[in-house]
Amino acid sequence: MSHEIDAILLEDAMLNLDELARSCQVSREWIIERVRWGLLLDQDLITNDPASWIFDSRSFMRVKRIIAVERDFEGSPELAGLVADLIEEVEVLRTRLKASELNED
Amino acid sequence: MEFKDYYQTLGVSRDATAEEIKKAFRRLARKYHPDVSKETDAEKKMKEVNEANAVLSDPEKRAAYDQLGQGRGFQPGSDFQPPPGWDAGFEFRGQGFNGAQAADFSDFFAELFGKQMGARQGHHRMRGEDHHAKIMLDLEDTYHGTTRSLTLRMPKLDSQGRTMLADHTLNVRIPKGVHAGQVIRLAGQGGPGHAGEAAGDLFLEVHFKPHSRYRIENKDIYATLPVAPWEAALGATVKIPVPDGLVEVRVPENSQSGRKLRLKGRGIPAAIPGDLYLVLEVVLPSATTPKEREFYQTMAQELAFNPRQNLGV
Repeated sequence: MSHEIDAILLEDAMLNLDELARSCQVSREWIIERVRWGLLLDQDLITNDPASWIFDSRSFMRVKRIIAVERDFEGSPELAGLVADLIEEVEVLRTRLKASELNED
Repeated sequence: MEFKDYYQTLGVSRDATAEEIKKAFRRLARKYHPDVSKETDAEKKMKEVNEANAVLSDPEKRAAYDQLGQGRGFQPGSDFQPPPGWDAGFEFRGQGFNGAQAADFSDFFAELFGKQMGARQGHHRMRGEDHHAKIMLDLEDTYHGTTRSLTLRMPKLDSQGRTMLADHTLNVRIPKGVHAGQVIRLAGQGGPGHAGEAAGDLFLEVHFKPHSRYRIENKDIYATLPVAPWEAALGATVKIPVPDGLVEVRVPENSQSGRKLRLKGRGIPAAIPGDLYLVLEVVLPSATTPKEREFYQTMAQELAFNPRQNLGV
């Protein structure tokens, strides 16, 4: 049996630009562009120095979704951002439906 | 090992053009998109579609795969071992997938194209790739923290530098207070490093299994609190089990079904804890025995009560 490994929440140790780029197998520039275009990170978290940016669980999931739409459908980054917005909205609504015990169908 | 018919997976003929393969892949990528699909097994199907596309969208891999199947009559699911030298004359460039993605692919894929991944990575000093997966937790896990055993298929290099898929079991200590949509990181548990470099990390997206009694909305928990009509009408203090024990709550008088009682800070115990909402449900006693029926008849006669007053009738 292997030993126990501590799981660290991204919220307790957020990813920096290099870590996010490496983990999602995209370049730093790919992420910087999409942050500048307003597709990633809330405006109040964006500073002039990309090295100071930090990314939480939501950003991590969002990058993965944008990558998938751009890659699988050759979607433009803006379209991929829109799809990511809609998926996040659907997630919120589905969670609320479940919490209020309404059926989706 | 089972033979995979990648043409069947994408629903295209063996002489399909690159454009037809691309269209078929996109149609299926939309159908089985893990975030929106209502198909059962959408995630598993999407992995199969990605694997088929990784081979058929790459001209060299497709040609090698075609040569492998030609005239041998392999059927999907039939037992399969690649003949020696099946890939002679092909030089794969490794487009369309990486080691982390390949962890989602089949043994069949790893057997055919694993050498290429090993060859690509083996001679360079390179940190291992990060891997991404999901973990399903029970609600109770987040109240107390827990240790979960997790088995993942991971690419590993064999003695000849080929990448093989092998089961890898981890015992993961899940911290208290984790909630859905969060990502947890396990340092050094991703793909192996090359030429002495560090292993990658494993990132797990947290999901919760449906619970019979509680509904979860981010850090807040919802539960139904059944109450008798007189408890709702007159007010009462009632006991109810909650995920971290038993609580007594005060039901205010003149309550109706659907009223929410908030227990502040009794939701998921994150750094800023969520709340626990108890949604009242007034449960009527049956009207079966003569005595029960008499009570209802007395209410009907004594109370001037019209539940449809707001409907104007």
